[in-house]
Amino acid sequence: MQTIETQAQPDNATSLLKPKVIEGKDTTYRIVSRNVSEYQFIVPFNLPDEERVEVGQIFSINDQGLTYLARVLNIEHSSNYDGHWDTTMKGTQFFDSDQIFNRVVAEPLGCINKNLEFKKSRTLPTKFSPVSRAEREEFKFLSQVMGDIEVGYLRNGSRLVEEIPVALHSDAIDHHMGVFATTGMGKSNFMKVFAASCMRLAAQGDSKFGLLIVDPHGEYLKGKRNSQVKGLVHLTRYREGLACYSTDRSNATDPGVEELTISESEIFPEDIALLYEWSAPQRDALDAISRIFDPNSWLDEIKTPDGMARMMQEGFKDSTVNVLVRRIKNELGRNSYIKKRSSLANILANLQKGKVVLVDIPRMSDRSELFLLSVISRYILDEYKKDEKEGEESRKNCLITIEEAQRVLGAASNTSRFESIAREGRKFGVGLCAITQQPKLIEKQLLSQFNTLVVMGLGDRNDRQQLEESAKQDLTSMDTEIQTLEKGEAVVSTLNIPFPVPARIHRYEDYLHRLNLEDPPERLIKKGGFKPFLE
Amino acid sequence: MEDRGRLSIIAELIRDHISLDGLDQFLCQTGVEKNDFVVIQPSDFSGEIFAIDGSNAAICSYLTANVNLIRAGYAVYRKRDWQRTVITFDDLFLADPKLSGTNFDPYLEHFFGLNAINLKESDLDRLSSYYREMQEYVAINDALNRSHPGDIILYDGSFEVFEPLRDVLATIFSRASEKEVALLAVAKSSSLSWGMAITLPFVQHTSMAASQLLPGEAWYLSLKGKKVDAGQGKWGGQTYVVRFCGESEHAFRVDVPEYLGDDMGQILGKLTDHSCSAECLGYPHALFRAHRDIRITEQEGAAARERLIAGLSELGMAHKEIRMLMQDYHDILEMRTRF
Repeated sequence: MQTIETQAQPDNATSLLKPKVIEGKDTTYRIVSRNVSEYQFIVPFNLPDEERVEVGQIFSINDQGLTYLARVLNIEHSSNYDGHWDTTMKGTQFFDSDQIFNRVVAEPLGCINKNLEFKKSRTLPTKFSPVSRAEREEFKFLSQVMGDIEVGYLRNGSRLVEEIPVALHSDAIDHHMGVFATTGMGKSNFMKVFAASCMRLAAQGDSKFGLLIVDPHGEYLKGKRNSQVKGLVHLTRYREGLACYSTDRSNATDPGVEELTISESEIFPEDIALLYEWSAPQRDALDAISRIFDPNSWLDEIKTPDGMARMMQEGFKDSTVNVLVRRIKNELGRNSYIKKRSSLANILANLQKGKVVLVDIPRMSDRSELFLLSVISRYILDEYKKDEKEGEESRKNCLITIEEAQRVLGAASNTSRFESIAREGRKFGVGLCAITQQPKLIEKQLLSQFNTLVVMGLGDRNDRQQLEESAKQDLTSMDTEIQTLEKGEAVVSTLNIPFPVPARIHRYEDYLHRLNLEDPPERLIKKGGFKPFLE
Repeated sequence: MEDRGRLSIIAELIRDHISLDGLDQFLCQTGVEKNDFVVIQPSDFSGEIFAIDGSNAAICSYLTANVNLIRAGYAVYRKRDWQRTVITFDDLFLADPKLSGTNFDPYLEHFFGLNAINLKESDLDRLSSYYREMQEYVAINDALNRSHPGDIILYDGSFEVFEPLRDVLATIFSRASEKEVALLAVAKSSSLSWGMAITLPFVQHTSMAASQLLPGEAWYLSLKGKKVDAGQGKWGGQTYVVRFCGESEHAFRVDVPEYLGDDMGQILGKLTDHSCSAECLGYPHALFRAHRDIRITEQEGAAARERLIAGLSELGMAHKEIRMLMQDYHDILEMRTRF
């Protein structure tokens, strides 16, 4: 047993001084906390511009063969000092940059194992695991989960990762899609890029769905006159993937662009119904039309004295019938594309072949556009329903684009047709692509049916909140990033890609240039590529 | 409730202690003149600055002895850049008067070639303070060993040292002089005083006076020949009051061994740039860092206490027994549960 003295005093002279030296080991760029759902690491507070950490940036954490990925949610000023010392700062500058730093708060995305398999993480990296900006190697697994409709490149903060294209899945498209952005953030550019990729697939025979775009602004067909902005017809390399219809006579004279016509027999009373606010008797009268008249000639018959008399015999007042007839005449007069012949069958056929169908209706009023879209959509849905019954399997699915979708998918809108496509279209292979700058006006229940979201910068908190509450993937943590997206930047959330992906959407004109330069199959053969037949 | 009259008397006394009503009385009674303030001329310095500090936390007391956690060491800077922090001692100290010789003597003998410490009865209550101080001197000694001629060693405190350790200090001064290293003690608080009727704080009043006489300047003032109560002064050096940085309002007592007497301005010139950090304006930054790196936090003290209790439990002591021996009755009165 030791004596008290020997316990209390050092054993020998060499144990008197055992200095512990703390040197400048880097404490930055290492995981310091916090839990499975939030990682934190620190970075120098005075990084040069090119090395600054940004919200949305993805970092990788290497830990014994696993690579964790985490997206930056927030960056805070922090230090090892307590209190509010920094609000009374004096002096020339900080001396101890290892004590003053920025604390980076990051959201775990998942982890990649040695086989490049990505999984959601149920644990957290070892404390002090090194953290670095994720590079091409760490994102390689994403290439394997991307789809076939390229829309841009992966973005890490403000930097592009050009080797990793961001591409949507054709298979997920009939599950509905939403494109959300405030004005000027690049919605039209996105749609043209999206359409161009669809044209490419169609021309190569790989398309899985037809895309219908109704363009009231006349900018998708030929772009903008007297500017560098190009249209879909400029994608000459894959022009056969596009079918165009136009109400503009000058456009319709172009080869490859047909004049758009709708037959009177294809217009139903419910198409007229969505154009106006109706009183209860007026709505009853509209509902009665299908019962009173022949569906193929009701538009002609109701305008005649005999037709009006038949309506009144059914108990409707003459004032009610007069309003009905006047409004019908107005619509027929306003929409000169209503004729005896129709383009709808052709449009349908092209969609079923998987082509991009562009309906160009420049200078058309908001009401007329809705009317046309209603007629076409109903026609398509009805035909797809028939095909479903008949077991038609060769036809492709279809995606109908609706600009300013809040007009027809809003809680207060009376356009049940589009709502029914949103609710049941998927059963029949018909999807909606809703484009809007005010997602907050779209009914939440409908929004929750959208499995692919392309979010391109939303300043309004209510818009973001609406999306966050309805999205299939968790977007709540990306609120700041969505708020700070710049023009052309997007967050893409879709099925099959394990987390919402930050993307820089291609500039259409650049993408067009690239696609037009792509080798046709015969040149690929010469280059030693695909060789379908033996000589 | 305090007596209103008494409160106002105390307030007046404090005001008289703190405020400086004009410079004349201060200058007259202390013998300080405007010309005594020497403006410090900044100079470039690329050598190393060592800053020594120590920390002492009470872990437990069982009436006849105390256990303290003591830590000593130093931080090293070159210009504004921290190089390293060295902890030279970080351990528990059993402060039992009967063990004092065995606690101190090995260090005194090994590092300073001195014989047994001579403690008087009255010193025994200060055992842990002595021990911490001795460990700080060991840290100075280690810094000296690693320093180069021209380097500066700063010590947090004063060289107005407890008598039992004066010989240690003399050895250190001698070694520093031989090695041509500047050794300065910088005290954050000082009992230097002046005044006839009441005791007035000298460093603070000197600082206030200098702010009027030399606004915006870094300066130093030698206390040699001044009418200042500066303690026993038997430690073998000179005491100064120094403002390291002109932008700061603070001044500090600085003790300097005799061998540096003529170089004071030059040495302080090397410290001005080092004393203007945003973190701690006006104080040599290395001392700031040493303080932060070496201090024993409340949590560390609590953790050490828990480790000690665990150790006692392993030796078979019951918790009740430990509590009875070690609990301070004040803890019961304050409803604290330290054990």
